[in-house]
Amino acid sequence: MSPADWQIMVTAGLVATACGLLGPFLVLRRVALLGDAVSHAVLPGIVATFLLFETRAPLPVIGGAAVFAVLCVLLIDALRSTGLVKADAAIGLVFPALFSLGVLGVHQWTANLHLDLDATIYGEIAFVPLDPWIVAGIELPRAAWTMLAVVALDLALVVALWKELKLTSFDPEFARSVLISPRVLSRLLLVAVAITAVTAFESVGAILVVTLLIVPAATARLLTDRLWLTVALAVAVGWVAAIGGYATAVRFDASIAGAMGVVAAVCFTLAFAGRSLVLARKRTLQSAS
Amino acid sequence: MARHVLVSALLAIVVAGCGAASQANPNDGVVHVATTTNFITDLAHRIGGDRVDVEGLMGPGVDPHLYKASANDVSTLADAELVLYGGLELEGKMGDVLEKLDRRKPTVAVTRDMPRDRLRAEPGYEDRPDPHVWFDVDLWRSAARTTAEALVEVDPAGRATYKRNLRAYDRRLRTLDAEARERIATIPEGRRVLVTSHDAFHYFGARYDIDVVAIQGVSTATEATTADVERVAKLIADRGVRSVFVESSVPPQTIEAVLASARRQGATATVGGELFADAAGDDGTPEGTYEGMIRHNLDAIVEGLR
Repeated sequence: MSPADWQIMVTAGLVATACGLLGPFLVLRRVALLGDAVSHAVLPGIVATFLLFETRAPLPVIGGAAVFAVLCVLLIDALRSTGLVKADAAIGLVFPALFSLGVLGVHQWTANLHLDLDATIYGEIAFVPLDPWIVAGIELPRAAWTMLAVVALDLALVVALWKELKLTSFDPEFARSVLISPRVLSRLLLVAVAITAVTAFESVGAILVVTLLIVPAATARLLTDRLWLTVALAVAVGWVAAIGGYATAVRFDASIAGAMGVVAAVCFTLAFAGRSLVLARKRTLQSAS
Repeated sequence: MARHVLVSALLAIVVAGCGAASQANPNDGVVHVATTTNFITDLAHRIGGDRVDVEGLMGPGVDPHLYKASANDVSTLADAELVLYGGLELEGKMGDVLEKLDRRKPTVAVTRDMPRDRLRAEPGYEDRPDPHVWFDVDLWRSAARTTAEALVEVDPAGRATYKRNLRAYDRRLRTLDAEARERIATIPEGRRVLVTSHDAFHYFGARYDIDVVAIQGVSTATEATTADVERVAKLIADRGVRSVFVESSVPPQTIEAVLASARRQGATATVGGELFADAAGDDGTPEGTYEGMIRHNLDAIVEGLR
């Protein structure tokens, strides 16, 4: 294995960790598609960054994108908390509006430039090893370093607010009795998702992030009902997808993100089939007795 | 218990499929060159000859702006002794990566030495030139020189070969340039309009004196508006343009709308032959080379407009 191979797997694994830490809460709160929403909603941020600073450099682009990612999740949350609109509809209302705003911006001001999501914010995981940063004498891809920081942030959030997150995810009504208000907590979580998603898009591309936010969490939910184990398993399944997907991609000379997504889907299918078998057997036993 | 079995089954997937990637041998006496688009691959072959082993990342029909990497591209780039690419943001976000790669190994944009005053840019974006330089054959001679220089740098022992190949290829490019000029000049001047869906032909238009009208903008996030359709249809009718040139990258409905509107205004334009834009044709076909790609486009344009 060359250094490039393990650097790609570690970077994908770090993305899987960040997504696995947050994904279970999104699945529980039925806003799993938030990652997909954010992946489109960032376009106006990219256009604005270009108009203001004339640049497509990664850091300003991430900054501009993050502003609209946060705006997107907060708008979804606000719309949803009115009680007039359900969560799925709120997502479906907010992100197309922001994306359309971005398309208008591109058409109006930058139609003759290659300013689209692929050319600006969606990274390619294959090229991650070509952009190394040396920090404290350790050479890792820039994407791995930034994802490491995001993982630390997400981990701190999840550990510090574990009890509150657990209560509000399962029983928002009861949760009103805890210290931190469920609204504030929900917003903190959503902002963490927005920042995680934007950073991860820039590192490894959008589809992989959307996949890793949903599929490992959904897989873990089938395997356990305990929340801490769900989170741990979501991270683990994410790593399985990262390493197994990379091995598959190399063997077939295929798209790395695509192969990782397929392996994640295979994991889910296996867990789903296993869970169905277990349930079916339980029912047979019950009807027999 | 059943769940534990499931978890171990999932983990087993990791172990399966952990195969070893093949490694190129760096000591086999040839210079390993990695290239992006297939006409740069062709260029590296022409100048490098037998001294180089060229591996192109992008095949025929690939839009370099939207290229999606495959797993083996990582080792192709890692094993290469020289990387040649288009530059001027042709390769989109990958261009940023290649710029950084230059710190570790010779990574050269073949547009590097092109004179700034020959590069085209949209007003207001002078520092972001149009990257589609290859349709100005005379300008592409600069890419050939840059390629030869880059090869000499990594393989000084081959200097004589590279210089000889460059001289021979440069002659062919000069011939091709003159041929393009002559053939476009056979189209009556009033009808010398290249209506195309793509942004790739502005250098071609400037060099060979043919007006280029694009239906939609450069960014793939935009679509042609109804005003775009009307503007182009009116131009077709006004100038008696006989053919428009489309590419697979634009929705056929857009071009149909343009032609229908032009017909209402009394024009009889049809869809001309397909032009190569961001990539040459299939390997092993005449259009798979740079010269073949240019000649194919000349044939299609001259036949469609004359």
